[in-house]
Amino acid sequence: MAAIRPEGFPVERGKIHEFANSLFDDHPLHHDLPLANAAGFRSVVAPITYASAASFFAEDGGMRLPEGVDLRFVLHGGQEFVFERPLIAGDLLTPTPGELRTYEKAGRRGGTMKFIETETVYQDEASEVVVRVRSTIIQTGGVVEG
Amino acid sequence: MIEQQEIATARVGDRREFSVPDVNRSHFVQYAGAGGDFNPIHHDQNFAVGAGLPTVFGMGMFTAGVLARVPSQWFGPQNVARFAVRFTSRLWPGDTLTCRGTIARVYDVDGLTHIDIILEALSQKGETLIEVEATVRPWQPS
Repeated sequence: MAAIRPEGFPVERGKIHEFANSLFDDHPLHHDLPLANAAGFRSVVAPITYASAASFFAEDGGMRLPEGVDLRFVLHGGQEFVFERPLIAGDLLTPTPGELRTYEKAGRRGGTMKFIETETVYQDEASEVVVRVRSTIIQTGGVVEG
Repeated sequence: MIEQQEIATARVGDRREFSVPDVNRSHFVQYAGAGGDFNPIHHDQNFAVGAGLPTVFGMGMFTAGVLARVPSQWFGPQNVARFAVRFTSRLWPGDTLTCRGTIARVYDVDGLTHIDIILEALSQKGETLIEVEATVRPWQPS
């Protein structure tokens, strides 16, 4: 995959339109630039889960996993978005790894499940935090449940 | 489209719901192109069968994105401060996806009304696919 310059995840109006359409989301703030401008926004507003596209944009997935995690035995348990402000077309977001937390719980069918919580913090060009994306990966110890 | 409501008029127990009938793999492919998740388990039949599955299944974030329309269309996408997803089951081609949200809590932070909404996406079998906790508060562009 070729690198993009300048580095980062550009939040784009056409991509927002396409992303919202793929989710059957016709909210005008995602599609109608004059309406977004009239509401005081520089451009259209990204859908709530749009930041998940940023993780596929980076070569390393923007995700930092501890060593020794076997990807054959992991489940995506959860994903959380915490916004300081909405993402707006024209933003250039830069990811930085946030906190990494691991803990264990007893599995429903015996054994232990290891929970890995990763956090990616996205900042805009003014280095202000826009959104924090937290992902929970469940390592099932060889037995994939669910 | 869910009719938009003023945040200050929200009451505990208020509820919104919509359904998307007959989700199919073209929807997964369209979301893959839009969002960048090209894991073949979501579009490649041979790959899915090779992994022991009957067919491809939808990305959890596809279901989450459709469910996000509930708080977003209800109170405005700019006003959603938190959206926390827990994945519980899979969405299959042919499923009808029902998305619903219920207001669990209305409270005040620094004079601003905040709302916590409990959301869930269900299949036509009544199975919960994902659960979400969302927080809504008014946000104004400066």
